[in-house]
Amino acid sequence: MARLSPVGSRRRRKAEAIAVYAALIGLTVAFLFPLVWIVGLSFKTRLQVFASPPLFLWWPTFENYAATLSRADFGQAFVNSLLVSAGAVSLSLIVGVPAAYALARFSFRGRNFLFFALLSMRMLPPIAVLVPMYVLFSAFGLTTTRTSVVLAYTTFSLPLVVWIMRGFFEDLPRELEESAWVDGASRLQAFVHVVLPLIKPGLVAACILCLQLAWNDFLFAAVLTNNATRTLPVLMAAFSGGDTGVDWGGMTASGVLVILPVILFSFAAQRHLVAGLSSGAVKG
Amino acid sequence: MGGTTQVAARGSLAHPASTRGRRRATWFDRHFARIAVLPTTLLMLVVFGIPLLFSAWLSLEGWSPDQTLFGGTFAGLANYQDLVTDPEFTGSLILTLEYTAGVVAAELAVGLGIALLLNIDLPWIGLFRTLLIVPMMITPVVAAFCWKLLLDPDHGVINFFIQQHIVWLGRPDTALLSVAVVNVWQNAPYVAILLLAGLRSLPHEPVEAAQIDGASRLQMFRHITLPLLRPYLMVALLLRMIFEFRSFDNVYVMTSGGPADATMVLSMYTYLASFVRFDLSLGSAASWMMLLISFVMCGCFIALVRRRDAT
Repeated sequence: MARLSPVGSRRRRKAEAIAVYAALIGLTVAFLFPLVWIVGLSFKTRLQVFASPPLFLWWPTFENYAATLSRADFGQAFVNSLLVSAGAVSLSLIVGVPAAYALARFSFRGRNFLFFALLSMRMLPPIAVLVPMYVLFSAFGLTTTRTSVVLAYTTFSLPLVVWIMRGFFEDLPRELEESAWVDGASRLQAFVHVVLPLIKPGLVAACILCLQLAWNDFLFAAVLTNNATRTLPVLMAAFSGGDTGVDWGGMTASGVLVILPVILFSFAAQRHLVAGLSSGAVKG
Repeated sequence: MGGTTQVAARGSLAHPASTRGRRRATWFDRHFARIAVLPTTLLMLVVFGIPLLFSAWLSLEGWSPDQTLFGGTFAGLANYQDLVTDPEFTGSLILTLEYTAGVVAAELAVGLGIALLLNIDLPWIGLFRTLLIVPMMITPVVAAFCWKLLLDPDHGVINFFIQQHIVWLGRPDTALLSVAVVNVWQNAPYVAILLLAGLRSLPHEPVEAAQIDGASRLQMFRHITLPLLRPYLMVALLLRMIFEFRSFDNVYVMTSGGPADATMVLSMYTYLASFVRFDLSLGSAASWMMLLISFVMCGCFIALVRRRDAT
């Protein structure tokens, strides 16, 4: 980490520290104000929301949250979001982790091709896959099912899992499995009993990042679901479609309920998350 | 590839199970790598390979949703010709490139600023890091509609602060700016995290040597930190370009491409062509144009990663 001027006087260092803190506080206020204001709106009654000038201090009401939580479509969308996110994450982990291990450790024909195919899968615009996917899924009667959304989500979560996990596998010393092989373990046994327990942090990072992407996705879900199978972002977009209407309290309360799980989850695992983000992109 | 043969040599040496004779390497062991990548390969084929090929085929057809899967008539490059002669598409292409360039430049500038501040060794810096990355966790659709409320002409808090009545999302000149600001707000923290990881991995010696030589803070930044950070900046630049090029969520929620196509980015154009007008052949052609541009950016990214791996 960079230190403040080591040669300067004590007074100068103090002045610099104050300047840095001032800049950081300014940035934090600027970046968090929109969110704080929205959370504030979600605790206001309809009259308070539209008060002019806006209220900065008020007695919070929970009526927006009570109303949102008692909505049938919100509960349904919440369950749908949970199901498709969990489905996409588990499918990608089960399928992708062994592949990441093979890519990191073994040579086989088509290794480079597979690797760059995965990379382009992550990088290409989702709408390009979505158009043909929609046609093919309709031909097989899969549109408007949660299965179709789970499958569609693997286009971004599978490459992410392989990309992150490959980095973690490469960081493990090769001698670990080699000694297990010498002791007579099969490749599979060495992988399951020796390697997997050691890369739990990697699994957590991959899991959270995929969960975040799946939970936040709008485009795939918007095209591939109907009113019964739609996820939270699709419902949110329907709330705010066209005119913003008058139910700002309800909109903001449901928005807060949508982002709360991801934020809590990410904070709980922040250390892993930062490691995963930087290993996924910086280490290459 | 040089790397592959090297790994192959190591792989064949590492077969002690059979030489020691404790247990023979089974068929499963010998084919372990292939079996391990098989599910991934199949899944990729289903959700990626086949759709892409099918989309290439669709883009060469005159196909409508009431026909059977392969019931269209071959149209050659007619769809592509329709696209390049459609001023709405070419306008959208130019708009998307400008938008991508502007947003990525702003994200890098803000992200670098945040990363440099967070890299300073002071108490409580971890708290600021935690708080500053919150925007990037917010569901983009929710972020977009929250900003829609903040920017509301009559009751939005932003117009209250500046004491003016600006219809941010209803005017062609401010709509694109508003959408861009939301993207920068959400993604600059991500750039900051990438660059912070880069800053932390830089060697200390050059900076210390420059300090002893009496270089000013600005000189050190321009002539030491910035060149050393270049590879990380390039990765962040390309990654953000690839992801901004496909922006959709906030445009859909905030403006749906309007007013007067002022925010009609390529994803939005393709979405409208495919799922509103249901011209899936034209949509496929448009998505292949996007794919080709992404391929170029992706190729640059891969070349960059490879060059760094080689050094």
